Amino acid sequence: MDVAIVGLGETPYSRARADKGEIVMSAEQYAAWATSLALEEAGLSLRDMDGQGLAVAGTEWPHSEIWSAEVVQNLGFRPKLLLRGDFGGNNAVELAVQAAAAIRSGLVDYVLVLGADSPMTPFGTQTARSWRYDIDYMRPFGLMGFVTLAGLMMNRHMSAYGTKVEHFGKIAVTQREHARLNPGAYVKAPLTMEDYLKSRVLSDPLRLLDSVMFVNGGIAFLMTGREKASRASKQPVYLRGYGLAHNYVEGDPAMPDVTTTGVKAAARDALQMAGATPADLDFLQLYDDFTGAVLMQIEDIGFCAKGDGGKFLDRTDISYKGELPVNTGGGLLSNGQPGMAAGLVHVAEAVRQLRGEASGRQVSGAKLGLVSGLGGLAYGNNLANSGALVLGVM
Amino acid sequence: MSEKPLPEITPLNKPFWDAAARHELLVQRCKRCGRFVWYPRGSCPYCGSRDLEWVKPRETGTIYAVTVVRVVVGNSPAWEKEMPYAVAIVDMDDGFRIYGRVLGTKPEEVRPGMRVRVDFEDISTGVAVPVFRPLP
Repeated sequence: MDVAIVGLGETPYSRARADKGEIVMSAEQYAAWATSLALEEAGLSLRDMDGQGLAVAGTEWPHSEIWSAEVVQNLGFRPKLLLRGDFGGNNAVELAVQAAAAIRSGLVDYVLVLGADSPMTPFGTQTARSWRYDIDYMRPFGLMGFVTLAGLMMNRHMSAYGTKVEHFGKIAVTQREHARLNPGAYVKAPLTMEDYLKSRVLSDPLRLLDSVMFVNGGIAFLMTGREKASRASKQPVYLRGYGLAHNYVEGDPAMPDVTTTGVKAAARDALQMAGATPADLDFLQLYDDFTGAVLMQIEDIGFCAKGDGGKFLDRTDISYKGELPVNTGGGLLSNGQPGMAAGLVHVAEAVRQLRGEASGRQVSGAKLGLVSGLGGLAYGNNLANSGALVLGVM
Repeated sequence: MSEKPLPEITPLNKPFWDAAARHELLVQRCKRCGRFVWYPRGSCPYCGSRDLEWVKPRETGTIYAVTVVRVVVGNSPAWEKEMPYAVAIVDMDDGFRIYGRVLGTKPEEVRPGMRVRVDFEDISTGVAVPVFRPLP
């Protein structure tokens, strides 16, 4: 059975700076806001969701291990199926796949996939827990988590393949141009290559402008089977294919290639299921916690050989008007990262592009696109959780 | 004055930390498939055997990737006074991969391909972590 996205809700994003007149809200309020927007768009009431499914992404500062039960009580949901994502940047892709499997099995007709987080207004005491390997063999060894590992991956790409910092810069600059055309994006300041090169180096070669910054926000999308899809939406966006990969390794499992993401396997599976090739894709919404991840995924999906990403960017326009539009809403780099809800930003932009609603940055004739997810820092490798969705309209 | 972050000692990782305090590197090796295992696990991630022993590996390796750490993010401010410093991915000669700081040379001069040897640095009383120094 085909499964489609039939409702989308996305709140404005905020850094919660009250002195600048920004919205200050908690994750609970963002969850409520995004949920009501998505249900309203699909023409469903809260009670229509009784006996259905809720798939909720975790938060940056979880305050309880048993947590999704609190979310359903807050919202007044009475779901039959309750899924919780602990996949970091792969939450959206992973929960969409789980939701589709549940709908296809006949367990439920609808699943609301919800991500809402407020890392700028955290709940209570911040006790940032992490993986044992981070606590025991990274922090005491002088590593700064994501920032250090991103620097190491980018260094490897540069030293192995001759990639230049300007290649990473092109990604940051192009995505900012997209954000400036996206009314919903948080970061709107113009960005030139010169600005990029002058930005502070955090962990060579990773610069501040290679990295995401946190925002508060919420996104929700409603999924259902084909039968109900045309009733719930004028323009259902169909899930044509998907792929997931965890603890992916390229090469020797003890000493893998850190420049290859699990999106290589996930995108291959997703495209195969969709009966499509990379050339059929009208756009990519690639998980972008740092610029290097975008460059590596362009290679991994098959647009060029591993290591040729820099040269590919030299000759390819990745703007919404170009040959290969990438992160047409600004991506997380310029939209901001709403904590553990971040991957849903990419699904939201894909849905808008496929509905033809991305005014000002619309990819002409967009019919098929790929959304990726990457989450969880692996030890001695790239990221641990990877996924890809191929979404399309006819 | 903030302190460097300390590991959480568990029944699993105690042999490593006890040896590190004596400035000795101990890692696990699988008795079934013979592969070296870093970081400490409950079973061999290559063949699944729970039969792991603690051994002293060769202490030399090659830098696979390097970054110069310039800001504290999600770690103790105690690192600030040592910045900038190099952190590398080191592929050890016995076939396991480990992260560590590279000391004894300017951080900007550390390069992939450089040969290094394990050393130890005390980060607190009775707690030492592996670091690396370039081989001549």
